[in-house]
Amino acid sequence: MSLVNDINTLVICQVLSALCLLHLIIFTITAPSFGSPHSHLSLSLAQLQDQGRPFSNPRFSSPTLSLETLPSTDMPFEIWHGLEDGVRLSLTQEAFWSFSQHFRIAMVDQHILHHGDSIVEDQLWEARLKAKGLAGNLAAIMTSLGLPSPAANTPLGPVPLGDSAYRKKCRGYVIIRDYSFWTDRAVTFLGELKAKYSQ
Amino acid sequence: MALFAVLQTTFLLALLPLRTYQSEVLSEPLPLTPESLNVSINSTKQCLHLQWTVHNPDYHQEFKMVFQIQISRFKASNVIWLENYSTTVKRNQVLHWSWESELPLECAIHFVRMRTMVDDARIPAPRLWSNWSSWEKADAQNSLGDHPLYVFPKDKLVEEGSNVTVCYISMNHQDNISCYLEDVLIYGRQLDQNVWAFEFKNVSFIRKTGTNFYCKGQGDPEGVVLLVSKVLEEPKNFSCETQDLKTLTCTWDPGNDTGLIQLPSYTLFESFSGKKTLCKHRNRCDWQVTQDSQEMYNFTLVAENYFRKRSVSILFNLIHGVHPMAPYSLFPKSVSATNATVTWKVYSIGSSSALLCQLQLLGEGKVIQQHNISVRVNGEYLLSELKPDTEYMARVRCAYADHFWKWSELISQNFTTAEAAPSEAPDVWRDVTFVSGHPTVTLFWKPLSKVHANGKILFYNVVVENLDEPSSLKVLSVPAPANSTKVTLNQSSYQICVTAHNSVGPSPASTVAISGHPGNENVEEGRMNGTEDGFPMSWKPQSRNATGYVVEWCDSPQHLPCVLRWKNLGPTNTDTVISSGAFRPGVRYNFRIYEISTKRMAHLLEKKAGYLKELAPSYNPKVNMSNLTSHSFTLSWKDYPTESQTGFIQGYYVYLKSKTGEKCHRGFEKTFLTDNSVCCKYTIDNPDQKTFVVKDLQPESAYEFLVTPYTSAGEGPLDDFRKVTTPDEYSHILIHIILPMVFFVFVIMIICYLKSQWLKDKCYPDIPDPYKSSVLSLIKFKENPHITIMNVNDCVPDAIEVVNKPEGSKMQFVGTRKSPTETKGTKPAYLDLLPTEKNYSGPGPCICFENFTYNQAASDLGYCGHFPVTPQAPHCQLGPLTSPEHLLKTLEQSYMNSLGEIPAGEANLNYVSQLASPMSGDRESPPTNPPEPALCSEYKMQMAIPLGLASPARSENSSLSSTALLDPREHCH
Repeated sequence: MSLVNDINTLVICQVLSALCLLHLIIFTITAPSFGSPHSHLSLSLAQLQDQGRPFSNPRFSSPTLSLETLPSTDMPFEIWHGLEDGVRLSLTQEAFWSFSQHFRIAMVDQHILHHGDSIVEDQLWEARLKAKGLAGNLAAIMTSLGLPSPAANTPLGPVPLGDSAYRKKCRGYVIIRDYSFWTDRAVTFLGELKAKYSQ
Repeated sequence: MALFAVLQTTFLLALLPLRTYQSEVLSEPLPLTPESLNVSINSTKQCLHLQWTVHNPDYHQEFKMVFQIQISRFKASNVIWLENYSTTVKRNQVLHWSWESELPLECAIHFVRMRTMVDDARIPAPRLWSNWSSWEKADAQNSLGDHPLYVFPKDKLVEEGSNVTVCYISMNHQDNISCYLEDVLIYGRQLDQNVWAFEFKNVSFIRKTGTNFYCKGQGDPEGVVLLVSKVLEEPKNFSCETQDLKTLTCTWDPGNDTGLIQLPSYTLFESFSGKKTLCKHRNRCDWQVTQDSQEMYNFTLVAENYFRKRSVSILFNLIHGVHPMAPYSLFPKSVSATNATVTWKVYSIGSSSALLCQLQLLGEGKVIQQHNISVRVNGEYLLSELKPDTEYMARVRCAYADHFWKWSELISQNFTTAEAAPSEAPDVWRDVTFVSGHPTVTLFWKPLSKVHANGKILFYNVVVENLDEPSSLKVLSVPAPANSTKVTLNQSSYQICVTAHNSVGPSPASTVAISGHPGNENVEEGRMNGTEDGFPMSWKPQSRNATGYVVEWCDSPQHLPCVLRWKNLGPTNTDTVISSGAFRPGVRYNFRIYEISTKRMAHLLEKKAGYLKELAPSYNPKVNMSNLTSHSFTLSWKDYPTESQTGFIQGYYVYLKSKTGEKCHRGFEKTFLTDNSVCCKYTIDNPDQKTFVVKDLQPESAYEFLVTPYTSAGEGPLDDFRKVTTPDEYSHILIHIILPMVFFVFVIMIICYLKSQWLKDKCYPDIPDPYKSSVLSLIKFKENPHITIMNVNDCVPDAIEVVNKPEGSKMQFVGTRKSPTETKGTKPAYLDLLPTEKNYSGPGPCICFENFTYNQAASDLGYCGHFPVTPQAPHCQLGPLTSPEHLLKTLEQSYMNSLGEIPAGEANLNYVSQLASPMSGDRESPPTNPPEPALCSEYKMQMAIPLGLASPARSENSSLSSTALLDPREHCH
């Protein structure tokens, strides 16, 4: 019984830590984008403003644009909600690790597109660090719960949409759009975890 | 001989090529066909690159040839370009030619062919074109993938202001594709079945990340980014200099950023030496001076980017461009109150060159000294004529002495000179007030200026010397920064010296003399007007020996205590302008001008008052209205202070408005107010007049009035009119009548009240005394001299009523009578007073009589007579009276009888005898046969009974008006 409590406490601490990090992500990226009320990324705003229209248009939305290397956003919420915690933890951890890798690519793209402007690059770097940190926190939660450790995160292979300036802009747009989706999903999920293990 | 041989050989060698040339010219010309034509596509530059060879085994020399090139688009017959390309061709040389397409090459298939012609003077005419080569196809669409939509050119670099064409290829022949430039829908022209082109002219720079063009069909949007570059500017202000004759530094202004990641390159080229260097910075480049003593340099700076090249040149003499490094180690040393020595060091230039250094001394930000010193390594200079306790800045810069071109950067160092004793006496003034005849002197002094203080003032010494008693000396030390002190003196003459002290010593003394007696204060106050510069004033000297004048005033007279200010003036001054930043418009300032005698005594010369600028009064006086009549009223404003006004009060305006709008009265003038209402205005031009009578008014009329002062700047606010209505013309007469009448009535009432007893006694006494009745005297006097008065002693008490009713004695009632209905049914109250046998506990029959003759109703009605009593009334018997039932019956009967038998208006003068017991008796004639119970009888005081209760007394049987009351408490005393 005591062991269970200790584990719960540890999980709660780690979930809280992850939630703090997530809130920090949301706090530091607070601006509407992509027309989603839950997507609040000043990062996206700063980056997309620099890309020009149509990317800087708040109403711009191109759901068909996607990157196959990014974590999937196709899973309906009902199915996601029905998954076991371990599965959801694993998927979330993989997603944020993947985003941390993609932010690096986005940084390079921005450097090519927008030489001399370090603000967007700095924000992308910050987002990358936070995504990476969150992936580490989620891995620690999985370990505390006795779940299988996440697989060693492999380096990202070639990412499509990088062969022209226009496609680089599209790539940045898709990365930030999907990052917003996963951030919202992770906040809800970690909130559920916190409530569950606080009981 | 040898020389001849050499010349011969040289001649033969010169002839040899000529021979060779002659043999070639004479050869037969052959058409040269281009071979191995290869066409490739450079997508980045949107260029078709042609490569071919010309093979001619017969010629080994270079030939000048012309290549005619044809380019077709979409199909071979659609020639869009024809160009002749001339060049010199060697044998088996691979030739290259490029053509830049305005249309992205990916959007169309291109065909290329060419033919040649020898265009060399050595080849005789005719010059013929060769045959066309076969068409070579350039098709970039082969390399496209399986996307449904492609847009070209990708990442096109465009210079601002140029034209660019964008196209898209719909691989699945969609026809619902729309294209946008930065969200703006663009319409293009169709080039082929599935190719559309969009031409943009004079493109402009929008942002560094390029201008977005994209097309949307059924799938994902596809687009391109036009990377628009600003036009590369020519470098400006290109110049070079050296600090040490070893390294040249050339600088320039590169102009605006082109906005592309591909930055322009800058190259510095020197033509004399033929050297060049690629600059690491976009605005600066270093060039190493070689040791070959090159003095002159011809530099060319070349700026180059993808689109263009810009260059600028200068001719530079090394010696004329020496800009020394800034000196260093600048220090002040040996700093005294007036001198300081400064030292510094310089970087040497060469072994024998000197530097010209400029030493500047700054005080309060301004250069006050400047010295040029020639320096090789160490510089030193003595600065003199400095001021004590003053902060200075020394700064040094140097230039190349052999040829001045430019000063080095400045270095600076601050230092402060030492203190010295204050150089000037403090400016002292005094304010003398006499308390109980003793002068109290408040000394004021102004802080010494920095120029004269020569250091920080630590304290002020005040030495008070009694001139009448030279041995008496009083010394006060007032620590700084105080600027005043108070001294109480005797009625003697004093001399007060004030000195300021710093760490070095005292200042010269400032002296004022005080007389022990008040001076002449009765000086008439003059007025003056201020100007923008202040208050100009002049005065007349009283004495020829004046040593100076002092003007004193308060900066803020409206705020107490007064902040005393003064201005010292020399003996030759008889006018001045007093200015102060504290002066405000609308404030009255009072100035006092003193003359200073040779003994430093101050005498009041003049008083002046003035305003920097007069303002209109800010408020109106509080006006009292009095003496209101139907035709006039009086206005007064006695307490209105004029001294605190915002200008000299010149008088008052009295405004009068009438509801009827009648014309203005005499003395008034018609005027219009700000609300366009008509008003009458009277001007009082005497500011001391503070009453005004408004006359000639209409009775019963409403007026509004306002009194406002006026100054030279205007009048006070016109917003507080008061209303007054004149009374009726006759109302005062009514008041004169009504008031005395009311007073008279009041007096009468008081008299009546005071004399009511007398009146009562006169008219309706409580116990009527026939002998004293005035009625009787009247009757006697007028009609019946034989009338007699019955003596009570002749009657049987309480049993007999004697009525003498002579016809001639009838009198009319003066008052009103109660109607019978008013008295009917009124139950006699005394019935309740009668004791029953049960209540009676006395030892035996004991009857007390009361006189009920007196009737309250009669009294209240003001009767001066009695009701008539019929002679048939039964006699009063004592025996039955002891029985309450009998008594009640008797009373009721007599009461009923009285109601029936007393007619209204027939009241005659009747006398009803008083009930009197033998004990009380009638002093004049006591009854001779008193009834037996009379032993215990006593005469009771009359009591007033209300009208209803007393009604039975009017009855015929009122002979029983004295009712027996059986009160046990009254028994047998």
